[in-house]
Amino acid sequence: MAKKRNAKDVLTWTVIGIILVAYLIWTIFPFAWMFITSIKSRAIIYKPYFLPFIQFQPTLENWYNVLVGGYGPRAFVNSLVVAVLSSFLSLTLGALAGYGLSRFKFRRWKNRDIAVFILSQRMMPPVAVIIPYFLIMRTFGLLDTWWALILAHSVFNLPLSTWLAMDFFNEVPIDIEDSALVDGCTYLGTFLRVTLPLSVPGLVAIYTLCFIFSWNELLFALTLTYNKAYTVPVLIAGTLAFQQMAWWNLAVYATLAIIPPVVLALIFEKYLVRGLTLGAVKF
Amino acid sequence: MKRIPIGWLFILPTIVFLLILTIFPLVWSLGLAFCSWKLAKGGIESHPEFIGLENFIEALNADRRYWSAMGYTWLYTAVAVTVEFLVGLGLAILLSFKDFRGRKFFRVVYLMPMACPPLGVAFMWRLLFHEDVGILNRILTAMGLGRIRWMTDPWTARFALIMVDVWQWTPFMFLALLAALQSLPVEPYEAALIDGASRWQILRYITLPMLKPVITTILLLRTIDCLRLFDYVYGITRGGPGLSTESASYYIYLVGLSYFDFGYGSALSYILLIMMLALSMVLILRLRRGL
Repeated sequence: MAKKRNAKDVLTWTVIGIILVAYLIWTIFPFAWMFITSIKSRAIIYKPYFLPFIQFQPTLENWYNVLVGGYGPRAFVNSLVVAVLSSFLSLTLGALAGYGLSRFKFRRWKNRDIAVFILSQRMMPPVAVIIPYFLIMRTFGLLDTWWALILAHSVFNLPLSTWLAMDFFNEVPIDIEDSALVDGCTYLGTFLRVTLPLSVPGLVAIYTLCFIFSWNELLFALTLTYNKAYTVPVLIAGTLAFQQMAWWNLAVYATLAIIPPVVLALIFEKYLVRGLTLGAVKF
Repeated sequence: MKRIPIGWLFILPTIVFLLILTIFPLVWSLGLAFCSWKLAKGGIESHPEFIGLENFIEALNADRRYWSAMGYTWLYTAVAVTVEFLVGLGLAILLSFKDFRGRKFFRVVYLMPMACPPLGVAFMWRLLFHEDVGILNRILTAMGLGRIRWMTDPWTARFALIMVDVWQWTPFMFLALLAALQSLPVEPYEAALIDGASRWQILRYITLPMLKPVITTILLLRTIDCLRLFDYVYGITRGGPGLSTESASYYIYLVGLSYFDFGYGSALSYILLIMMLALSMVLILRLRRGL
């Protein structure tokens, strides 16, 4: 009896193992092929070689070309500046609003109506505002500058950051704040000196999410930037149009574009799902 | 409760920011939808001209390209969301069976695609699909299956885009469902086991009903995001072959910012916005109830 059951278990686990590994390969294979393409020399780019050192001699020539010359470095600086500053703006505004919604009771409009109004902006398709954005930025002479994109990305991330900040602040016990208030601290002082330090992990997670979304965003960047403030996705999208066959550089650009968000996501894995489901699922 | 005016100081910056940078653009766009304002000879016309409902009438009656793009967007969404949900649910159930060593490893690797820039993913898959650089057809040939014309046949191209979406976003469903599964209470399962329920019965009558709120939320979220489809189309097919993979967002982008027909583009974007409004309302009301 015991033996029979064991055999059945082994079978079940083998099947599960095969499925899990198959899905693992499906996930990793595109990454692997992209990276392998990026270290192939131009001469063998069309050959189906897969194993570096064994089937072909890997080269860093493509990486060198992209990192040293061309449009690459500028795109990375642009992407980085936009993501860093826009996430900072989203986080600052979002944390303030989240705190307000979590700690104060509003009368004329109920708290949850305000929260829902803010969140509802997240549901709007971005394509519905790109035409007015283009016109507004043109009017103010901001087209093709960092500022246009910083504003666009921070507004785009603001609903998410407010909503998540509210969620995090709800978890910080209110008693500590009350005692600070009793001891004569102001509301702003309590927020800055008591609540903020307690919610640092949550705030870092929000910043990271905003950073990833800003770094990954294409549509606004495509609309608002051309040849000075272009970000990495815009550059990748354009490279194809300009240099039809430059697959070797494309592979490098794509790898470089993918590394920062993936590394951040792996570090903040716990918060990623919570953020993407707007707090509906908590680990 | 604390005094109200101070509370407003905290949320006012956000409200003002949103009013200026989303509500105002939306209102402007609505105004433009009733105007004609486009690129004419010698540049963009200096003033929008009011033309009433003409843009909408043209879009609803005569614009077959728009409705074909809209049709593809909904087909794409329906197929992608269904497949992602089923695969994600399957994987989540498999991984929640038992806490074995290496479970965290699978979870972490599985989540990688969803952090990537969709445009980066688009090019990653172009490297696989491509006739010369790509490896997919070589693998298929080596396995004795025929080559697939990934990018030159309309229906293959349509499903290739869906496949990319499934690759990138199944992890989202999987992780959300796994987290939800792990937070379920144990008692109902113990009771069911004592009553002699089969695995299938447990899944059907205990797990799924308890997961229902999470399932509805993530299905709505994914649907809303899928309907925005733009990056893959821009990065992989540019709407081709022919116009077969154009999505609503992509076509609106072309009309508004490539042909510079601001009025008509705004009208088209409002039609999409209204279609998505109903779905968004359902989701928003659900999330509101959780507050």
